[in-house]
Amino acid sequence: MNEIAAEATATTRFRLNGVEQVLRVAADARLIDLIRERFGLMATKAACRIGRCGSCLVLVDGKAINACLMMGWQLDGADIVTAEGLDALPEGRAVRAALMTEVAFQCGYCAPGFTVALTALFRRDPLAQEGAIRAALAGNLCRCTGYLSILRGAATARAALGGQRTDSVSCPHDQAAKENHHVDSRNRARRRAQHSGD
Amino acid sequence: MSEHRSISPHLLRARSLQQAADLAGDPGRDARFIAGATALQLECSRGAAPPACLVDVTALADLAGIAETEGGGIRIGAASRLAELERNAVLLRRWPLLIGTIAAIAAPGVRELATIGGNVATGTGCLIPTLLALSATVEVFDKGVAVSLPLRDYLGLRPDRGRLLMAVVLPPMPARHRVAHRKIGLRWGFTPSVIGAAGVLALDADDRIGDAWFAVGGGTTAPQLLDRAGAILRGQYVETVDWLALREALVDEIEAPSDRHRSASYRKMAAANALVAELGGAAAIEALCKAPAIKRFMPAAVARPAEIEVSRPALSDRWRLRPDIKDKVLGRLRYLTDHRQPDMLVARIVRADIPHARIVSIDVSAAEALPGVAAVVAASDIKGLNGYGIVLQDQPALCADKVRCVGDPVAAVAAVDDATAAQAVALIRVEYEALAVVDDPEAALAPGAPAVHAAGNLQRELRFARGSVDEAWNRCAHVIEDVYITPRQLHGFMETEGGYVVPEADGSLTVGVGGQHGARDRLQLSRILAMPQERIRVITSLTGGGFGGKDELTVQAPLALLALKAGKPVRIHLDRAESVVTGRKRNPMRIRMRTGCDAAGRLVAQEVDLLVDCGAYASLSPSVLETALEHACGPYEIANVRTRGRLAYTNNSICGAFRGFGANQMSYAVECQVARLADRVGIGPIEMRRINMRKPGTPGYLGQEVAPTDRLFEMLDAAGASDLWGKPRGPSDDRRTVVGVGMALSHQGNGLGSVVPDSGAAELALSSAGRIEAAYGLDEMGQGVVAIIQAAVAAAVGCDRDDIEPVVGDTARAPDSGSTSASRGTYVVWKGASLAGADFNRQLREAAGKLLRRPAEELRVAHGGISDARTNSDDLLISFRDLAARLAPDSLPRAACSFEFPKTDYRAGNARFIFAFAATLVRVAVDRATGQVRVLDLDQHTAAGPVLDPAGYLGQMEGGGVQGLGFTLSEDILLEQGRIVTDNFDSYMMPAIGDAPERARVFALEDLDDAFGPRGVGELGIGSVTPAIAAAIADAIGYWPTVTPISPEALLAAVSKLGPTP
Repeated sequence: MNEIAAEATATTRFRLNGVEQVLRVAADARLIDLIRERFGLMATKAACRIGRCGSCLVLVDGKAINACLMMGWQLDGADIVTAEGLDALPEGRAVRAALMTEVAFQCGYCAPGFTVALTALFRRDPLAQEGAIRAALAGNLCRCTGYLSILRGAATARAALGGQRTDSVSCPHDQAAKENHHVDSRNRARRRAQHSGD
Repeated sequence: MSEHRSISPHLLRARSLQQAADLAGDPGRDARFIAGATALQLECSRGAAPPACLVDVTALADLAGIAETEGGGIRIGAASRLAELERNAVLLRRWPLLIGTIAAIAAPGVRELATIGGNVATGTGCLIPTLLALSATVEVFDKGVAVSLPLRDYLGLRPDRGRLLMAVVLPPMPARHRVAHRKIGLRWGFTPSVIGAAGVLALDADDRIGDAWFAVGGGTTAPQLLDRAGAILRGQYVETVDWLALREALVDEIEAPSDRHRSASYRKMAAANALVAELGGAAAIEALCKAPAIKRFMPAAVARPAEIEVSRPALSDRWRLRPDIKDKVLGRLRYLTDHRQPDMLVARIVRADIPHARIVSIDVSAAEALPGVAAVVAASDIKGLNGYGIVLQDQPALCADKVRCVGDPVAAVAAVDDATAAQAVALIRVEYEALAVVDDPEAALAPGAPAVHAAGNLQRELRFARGSVDEAWNRCAHVIEDVYITPRQLHGFMETEGGYVVPEADGSLTVGVGGQHGARDRLQLSRILAMPQERIRVITSLTGGGFGGKDELTVQAPLALLALKAGKPVRIHLDRAESVVTGRKRNPMRIRMRTGCDAAGRLVAQEVDLLVDCGAYASLSPSVLETALEHACGPYEIANVRTRGRLAYTNNSICGAFRGFGANQMSYAVECQVARLADRVGIGPIEMRRINMRKPGTPGYLGQEVAPTDRLFEMLDAAGASDLWGKPRGPSDDRRTVVGVGMALSHQGNGLGSVVPDSGAAELALSSAGRIEAAYGLDEMGQGVVAIIQAAVAAAVGCDRDDIEPVVGDTARAPDSGSTSASRGTYVVWKGASLAGADFNRQLREAAGKLLRRPAEELRVAHGGISDARTNSDDLLISFRDLAARLAPDSLPRAACSFEFPKTDYRAGNARFIFAFAATLVRVAVDRATGQVRVLDLDQHTAAGPVLDPAGYLGQMEGGGVQGLGFTLSEDILLEQGRIVTDNFDSYMMPAIGDAPERARVFALEDLDDAFGPRGVGELGIGSVTPAIAAAIADAIGYWPTVTPISPEALLAAVSKLGPTP
């Protein structure tokens, strides 16, 4: 078995907010600690460190992932965007503007995590309705707002992104609707799964 | 309190099954397979040692991919992420049951990492019941060979670290089927599993059940395929299934454990009910549930008071953005715990891991000798008073001779980095001699109880009496007596306690730790450090949430001691568990209340016996006790009253200030009592309140003078006029829930009260950059005091809100305005602006007049500068910026004021003078299968004077409302023998977004018509949520819950038909 070189640290290559990084990191180094303490990017917050509050969400290859759960050995090749990097994405800009308009946050500590989660959602599904929004934000805790202002912010962001359709009104944006057909069908499937299937 | 490892685990990326199995199975190695690794942090946080070697199996081809099998089934590689499964078109189309199950596992961010293999191989995953019901098989690499076996058999195998799960294989779904899945949790959103249940019925063309599979599992419930229940259904027609009999069979067969959250019988009952409800639909649910005849209250028509709805659409012309919102949303805001500077040390605190003990010895020598450690402090390093506390100083900064609760600090270390600090903590030897633990307030007051403090465990006892209660009971036609229990709620601010202390070159100290009253923190630190207050600068803002939990000192003292000893800046940021264990909580209360009224509903007598758990130290608990008793009759006039309140020291987690401050707990009991008596009398809850409410202009509960303005009758009208009463109530169309509407009133005092010093101060100054700095020694914790400052000062001075630069939370830059608590901030800001604003306005005009050679009377303060008062033009004659630039620094306008908070002169007890008022209405749905409550509507009608900042007002009411929802339905810190067992967000259940009401509205009656300006609404939102929810539950199912958080078990018992007794 000695031919197997198990390593405690490894050279890891990843992108962080568009910049290529090459680092030697411990296998169990947490992404959140790298982001905050190695790169000084303080928007990503540590509030539970067990993946239960979403304050540390970052985009990894476009998906919102808890930086407290992701470890050094999982980073190689990843494209990571923190809250500081969201301005590069149109959905990120729309989400941020809408959350400001609605004064969606109070203490603001959870804000970067919510903006990352919503950006990931709207990249996938610009027409996301409230059910999908709540599902996408299931892992984000906020203690100040009771979430209602954040839901309003998400609805305002959807409107800004062109998805003003509601479930009962047909969508004027055919192209967007087509692109998101799979999402709708998935939502339908989910709803079906909760009822008796047939 | 996680211990950092000094040695990282080694990682091996397995290139073959054999290699992976050999490594993980090697008894000489502490190795384990790893894929998503999402459970690892959780296990380590719970105290498990991390493995020395991680064997990454995600690159193995045999564990990859999702592919349909020849037989029409599907093979899911074990390394497939749950999120991949959710996106898989075949699974979506053909196994929606599986997708629905996955959607209830963890949260989206976790599912991007977590794998199906990890979920199944742990044996506790929430997918297992569904996979069992789908008759899944698994492929396993075991002892050198790949084998296929039923999932159930795999789960029954003896654990073997070298056995590798390769894939889960699902057979095709039966051509015709009916399926069910339900994960029952501790709340609606992102919850650990209480129990999960799944069922699959295979149907023939005639809807006859060919086969049936039921399974449970998830979390602490062991996976179980329920053969007997399945066998019962075989051959039956769906239409004629005896659902009640099936429920009984399921309950009989399910094996489930009890824990601190839910009993075994609840798990069995809820799982069985859920399966039956999902499979059998409305008819089955009706078969399971009682159908009590409930007469649901409808209010008489009443005119709605002239409220506005507080929302952006309704108040678009008044809607302003708070000055810090942009930086917060962009993530640019540096919190005090984000502060870094060169040479900064990292601190850790050594804390007692035992609830009650004498300290025999503390040996810090090994820690001090550890390279990288800059300072270690213990009680012997304290030059001043080793005690603090806002009311009395009974809490040691560092324990010297005794610890009284888990988490009590005994020493602290500062080192070059966190890992070294953690190592040093592990090297500090504290020898304890354990003492008997006092873990219950009742037991604490029993004769012979071990003394938590030398003076005894009765921290405080307060009594009040009026009239003749004993004799008055004879005149009561109806009497209700009950005991109301309230939880030990966690503040749950997202930013845990922390910050930094810098020893400055001049010998002074800068303390940057989130707080709620910098001047008082400075006073307390000065006593401990024996250092003059003038040499301590305390920065307390901005902080990431307070809710009362940062009112008392947190980590300031050990941090300051370390910084002084090391001579270097030191920072600390508590991790969540350390914050939960050591932070103060809401005082749990046991309220025995006996209330009587005459035949017409007029309240005659009220007796209250209140027992409050103080925890190990007093902090603000004595004031909480007093405030609770101040609300013992709510806003109602009761001639005969007797109250007793006792506050007991225990070795439980320390309690203290928390939004509502005792009033919301007592309001829960009072409002329930009044509504329950209304039922007895046969009048509605609104009428009952109307005939008993204190009239405006009459004395307050204690006989004290109160502000002449009262808006409770208007709030009652608002409640009566609410459209919620007319929304659907009773059993829902699908029969899954029963819906009810409830209301409650609250009145929340503003300010610290009549016997506590309570003053405010403000300073307005034109800065050399031309900004109008409005300095208040208040704290911005998120509640929006900075927006209130902009609004109030702009209105008083005449400038625009954006001209104002709020300066808060810094003893060097702002005067002592008192604490940011007790809903007092809004009044303090408004009063300060009113007093200093006119003077400042005059100074601005005079300064401008001198430069412009115009009399000040001809000038007007406008948006951005000074304009001509004789025209209607907003054109500026001079901007603030130009004005400042042309004035000498010592002639820049500056105005200051200080004042007393409005008070009553009642001195026999602490009494409030000004109040804010609210009526809360909620509409809830009680799940008839599980007893869980979902809040559908939350309407809050308020009267707190003019709304200075609509967004802030709305936010405070909504945030308070949902925090109250958590208090009522899901939140409680659980302890076992003084040890907290719910120390992070995996077990402590604050509302998640799935728990937020479906709809919420906030209304405001702005006209208060008195001289006391706008009231604060920091606490108003939480004031009456609990009794409103209780009333709505009673409206739905006829049962009044008296224990909070409200137990789904109790509600389930109330709605279920009981099965035949075995």
